[in-house]
Amino acid sequence: MAKKSLFTSMKHAVKSLRIGMISVAIGSAFVASNVSAQELGWPEKEELKFGFIKLTDMAPLAVAYEKGYFEEEGLYVTLEAQANWKVLLDRVIDGQLDGAHMLAGQPLGATIGYGTKADIITAFSMDLNGNAITVSNDIWKQMKKHVPHEGGKPVHPIKADALKHVVDDFKSKGKPFKMGMVFPVSTHNYELRYWLAAGGIHPGYYAPHKGDTSGQISADALLSVTPPPQMPATMEAGTIYGYCVGEPWNQQAVFKGIGVPVITDYEIWKNNPEKVFGVSKTWAEKNPNTHIRVVKAMIRAAMWLDENNNANRPEAVKILSKSQYVGADYDVIANSMTGTFEYEKGDKRQVPDFNVFFRYHATYPFYSDAIWYLTQMRRWGQIAEPKSDDWYKEIAKKVYRPDIYALAAKALVKDGKAKISDFPEFATETGFKPPQKGFIDNIVYDGSQPNAYLDKFAIGLKSDSKL
Amino acid sequence: MNKQQTVPSIVNQVKNVQWPSFNTILSTAGLPIVGIVIFLGLWSMMAKNIDTSLGQFPGPAAVWQQANVLVDEHNAQMDKADKFYQRQDERNAARVAKDPTYQPKIRAFTGAPTFFEQIWTSLYTVMVGFVVASLIAIPVGIMCGLSKNAYTAINPLIQLFKPVSPLAWLPLVTMVVSAVYVSTDPMFSKSFITSAVTVALCCLWPTLINTAVGVSSIDKDLLNVSKVLRLNALSHVTTIVLPSSIPAIFTGLRLSLGIGWMVLIAAEMLAQNPGLGKFVWDEFQNGSSESLARIMVAVLTIGLIGFILDRLMLTVQRKVSWDKTAVLR
Amino acid sequence: MSNSSHLELTKVGIDFPTPKGPFTALQNVDLKIQKGEFISLIGHSGCGKSTVLNIVAGLYQATTGGVLLNNKEVNEPGPERAVVFQNHSLLPWLSAYKNVELAVKQTQKGRSKQEMKEWVEHNLELVHMTHAADKLPSEISGGMKQRVGIARALAMEPKVLLMDEPFGALDALTRAHLQDSVMEIHAELGNTVIMITHDVDEAVLLSDRIVMMTNGPAATIGEILHVDLPRPRNRIACADDPKYNHYRAEVLKFLYEKQRKVESVEEHRAKKKTSNEEKSSNVA
Repeated sequence: MAKKSLFTSMKHAVKSLRIGMISVAIGSAFVASNVSAQELGWPEKEELKFGFIKLTDMAPLAVAYEKGYFEEEGLYVTLEAQANWKVLLDRVIDGQLDGAHMLAGQPLGATIGYGTKADIITAFSMDLNGNAITVSNDIWKQMKKHVPHEGGKPVHPIKADALKHVVDDFKSKGKPFKMGMVFPVSTHNYELRYWLAAGGIHPGYYAPHKGDTSGQISADALLSVTPPPQMPATMEAGTIYGYCVGEPWNQQAVFKGIGVPVITDYEIWKNNPEKVFGVSKTWAEKNPNTHIRVVKAMIRAAMWLDENNNANRPEAVKILSKSQYVGADYDVIANSMTGTFEYEKGDKRQVPDFNVFFRYHATYPFYSDAIWYLTQMRRWGQIAEPKSDDWYKEIAKKVYRPDIYALAAKALVKDGKAKISDFPEFATETGFKPPQKGFIDNIVYDGSQPNAYLDKFAIGLKSDSKL
Repeated sequence: MNKQQTVPSIVNQVKNVQWPSFNTILSTAGLPIVGIVIFLGLWSMMAKNIDTSLGQFPGPAAVWQQANVLVDEHNAQMDKADKFYQRQDERNAARVAKDPTYQPKIRAFTGAPTFFEQIWTSLYTVMVGFVVASLIAIPVGIMCGLSKNAYTAINPLIQLFKPVSPLAWLPLVTMVVSAVYVSTDPMFSKSFITSAVTVALCCLWPTLINTAVGVSSIDKDLLNVSKVLRLNALSHVTTIVLPSSIPAIFTGLRLSLGIGWMVLIAAEMLAQNPGLGKFVWDEFQNGSSESLARIMVAVLTIGLIGFILDRLMLTVQRKVSWDKTAVLR
Repeated sequence: MSNSSHLELTKVGIDFPTPKGPFTALQNVDLKIQKGEFISLIGHSGCGKSTVLNIVAGLYQATTGGVLLNNKEVNEPGPERAVVFQNHSLLPWLSAYKNVELAVKQTQKGRSKQEMKEWVEHNLELVHMTHAADKLPSEISGGMKQRVGIARALAMEPKVLLMDEPFGALDALTRAHLQDSVMEIHAELGNTVIMITHDVDEAVLLSDRIVMMTNGPAATIGEILHVDLPRPRNRIACADDPKYNHYRAEVLKFLYEKQRKVESVEEHRAKKKTSNEEKSSNVA
C-alpha cells in the first residue's frame, strides 16, 4: 500500500513537471496577442487556506470546493478543520488562514475588542438557523412532566418554562445547573441565553470591565464553553446537563441515545442569521479581487445547496460526511440537512427551514443582523457601557460589507451564473430588515433602534444600565 | 514418473537440511506470534464487551477494514489530484489566452491530506525537531562532559526542564513562533514549526544527559594518550571524545527519538499540524461510527512507526559503534 | 656527572589532596639516567612507582623538586616521553595501523604522506604486527594489543620510553615473547627506557639498573641495583648464570625482607587497627 502511494506521488511529480512545461510553452506563444481588460480583475492571491469547524453549516465551503466553484474563480483553496473557535480566529488574525467559517459574533467581537482585538470583516453570511438546544436524558425526564402534550407528543416549541422547574429544583438542592455553549460570542450563547431568559431563567452577566469573562454573574444556569464536536462527549461525561450547538451535534446525541434536543433555533427566532465567512480587514484590502471571487464561489455553493427545494441536499450530506469535513455518519447529518429534525428518538418532525443557505437572502450581510448580535452582547454585559444607536450602526457598517457582496453578485449575474432577481435590490437595499417578529417571546426586533429593543427585555441589561 | 521421483528426493533433502532446533524457532518466531495471537484474541473478546456511544469498540476485523478504507481513500485522492492538475492546466491555458502577460504556474493539489500523507508529515516534523535537538544537545553535552564547571552550571537547568510536558511548552511555543516567525510567504507553516520546536524541546534532554555522561566517563588512559600526543582541543574532541562517547550518544539519541515521536502526536493535536496527531484529533471530533476503528489504525501505525524508528536507530548505532561486544537491544 | 645525564629527577616529591588533608605519596626521589639506559622501577603495589612514571611523563606535576630532560624542565606531557600504558590504551575504534598513524601524524609533521605510511609500517614491523595492521583492537589478543601500544610509542621517536607494567596483564609465554621483542628493539634503537614492573625476573633480564622503591606513604628510592650482565641476554642462559641469580636474590631480599609487605593475616589486622587508630588520632 505504501508502495502504491509512493508510486502515485512520483507519477504526480512527473506529471506536474510536464504540465508546467506545456503551460510555459503556451504562455510564451500567446504573449504577443492583446486582450481587452477584465471587469473583475484576476485574483491577487490564488493559493488560499480557509479554516472551518466541523459543523454542517460549513457546507458552502465544502460545496464550493468539491463542485469546483473556487477553481472556476482561479482560486486554489485548501480547507482545514480547526480545533476550536479561538484557534480558528487567532489563525485568521495572524494570517495562517486566509479566511474562515466564523460565528457571526466573532468579527463583531474582535472589532469591538471583546476577546482578541482585531479588525475582521465579513461580506458573506453562510446560513440561517441550524442550531438546537439539547438536554441530557435525565433532565429531559424531569422537564417532560411540565411540557404540554397533544396526541401523546410534546407540543412544540418547548419553552424554557419547563426547564425552569428543573433549574429551581437544582437551586433548592444547592447544585449548580451547568450548560454548554461553543464560544462567548457565539450565536449559540445568545440563543441559549435568549431561550433561557424567555423562560425566566437568568443565564448570567459578563463584566469584562471588572475582569469577569465567565458570564455567570447572578446566573441561574451556568454556561461554559465547549468546542462543538466535544459537546456530546462532555454531556455524556456529566460535566454539563445540556448544550446549544450546531448540527450534527444535536442529532448525534439522539443517535448515541444520550440526550434529547428540545428546541431548534428556528423556533427561538425564525430565520435567524448564523455563521459568516470572515477575513481580516488587512487581507481584504490587500486582496480585493480574491475576496470578491471567494464570495462569488460561495454564493454559487449556497445556491446549489438550496436549489430545487433542497434537491441537492443528499449529495451535500455525502460530501459533509467525509472525514475531512464534518465526518459524522451520513444518517446523522442527513437527519437535519434534508429538512427534518429528530427530537426525542423516533419523534422526527418536518423542519424544512432548519438549514437555510440561500433563500430569504440568507447570504446577504444585513446590518440589522450585526446589530442584533451587538444588542445581545450589550444585553449580557459583554459590552459594559451604554452605547448610542449610531454606535451600533457604525460598528455594523465597519464589519458587515454588503458592498463587496454586491460586486460579487453582479459579477455572477454578468457571468450568467445567477439572476439579478436572486438578490436584494442593491440600489435600494438599506441593509436593515423591516421589524422582525418570530421570536419565541414575541418581542419585535427593529435593527434601526437597538436601545429601544434592549429596553423590552425583562431579563438583561437595559440600554442605560451598567453592572 | 518424474513426480514420483522428485517427491522422495525432496523428502531426503528436507531430512538432510540442518533445521534449527525446535527451541530456536519457538523463541525467535514462535513466541512473538503466540503473543500477537493472544493479544488479538483478547482484543476482539474485550471489544465485543465494550459499548461506547459511538457503537461497539472496534475489534481487529473492523480495524483491518478501516485500514483498507484509508488506502482506498488515499488512492481516490490521488486520482482526484490527477484531475486537479489536468483542470489547472486547462485553466492556465485559457487564462494565458486572455491575458498573455500571465505567467502560468502550477499550484500544489489542495485536497485534504490522506492518512499516508499525514504519516509523512509526522515523520518529517519529528525528524526536523529531532535533528535540531541533536545539533544543540550533542555539543552542549560534550561541553558538559568536558568541563565539570559547565556541567555544574547547566545541570540545574537540565533537571528543571527535563520533566516538562510538551503540553506545557506548546502554548508558549505557539505564541513565540507567531510573534517571531513573520513572513509574507513562509517556507514552513507555523503549525509545523510549532510542532517541530516542541518536539525539539522535549527530546533535547536524553541526548544531552547521555552525551555528558559518555564524555565524562571516557577511559582516563585514552585522555592520557591525547595528552601525550599533545592533541589540540579540536582534534581531542574529534579523535578521542566523540568516537569514544558514540555509544552513549546513541543511547541518548534513541531515547530522544522515542520521546520525540510520542511528543509529536500530542503536539500535532493541539498545533493543528496536519500529521497523525491531527488525524486522531479530527477523527475523535468526527464522532462517526467508524471513528474509533480509524483511530485504532492510527494507534497501531504510530506504534509500528515508533518501533521501526527505534530499530533504524539501533541499526545505525550498531554500524557506528566501535564496541561490537556491547549488547544493544 | 649531573650535566651529562640525560634524564634527571631531583628531590621529586608529590602530595595528593584528600578530604583529610594532603597525602604525601613520594618524597625525595633522586635519579640520574644516562642516554640509552634501561631502568626498571620495582616495588610493592602502592609504593608510587606509577606516580614516578607519571611525573616523568608530565601527567602529574611534582609538588617538590623536578625533572630535567636534556636540561629542560618537564612540566607537561609530550611525545618525546612516550608512554606505553599498562592496559594498552589503544583507541578501540581505530585499527592497529590507524592507532599508530594517529601518533605519527601528530608527532612527525615534517614527513610526507608516503614517508608517514612507511614509518607506520616500519614500527608495526618492529613489533611484528604487520599481519594484523587492519584489525581493530577488539579483534586481536592482549599481547598483540600491547605490541601495537609499543609500536605507537616508538613511532613518536621518543627520547625516553616510559612503560607502565607493559606486560602485567599478559600470560607468561606471551610476556616472555614481548620481553624478547623489547630487548631487541632496545638493542636496535638504543632508547632510554623506564619500565615499571612487579616481576623480578623481568627486571633483572631487561634492565641496566633496577630502582627499588620503599613502601609508601612518602615512598622513595630504597636501593639501586646495577645489573652487569652482557647483552644480548638470553633468558635460558641467564637462568643458569650465578650472577643473574645473585641479582635476582638481591631484589627479592629487598622486596621481601627489607620492605616486607606480605604479612600474615593476624599481623595485617593488628597493623590495620593501629594505623586506623593513628589516623583517627591524627585527625583529632
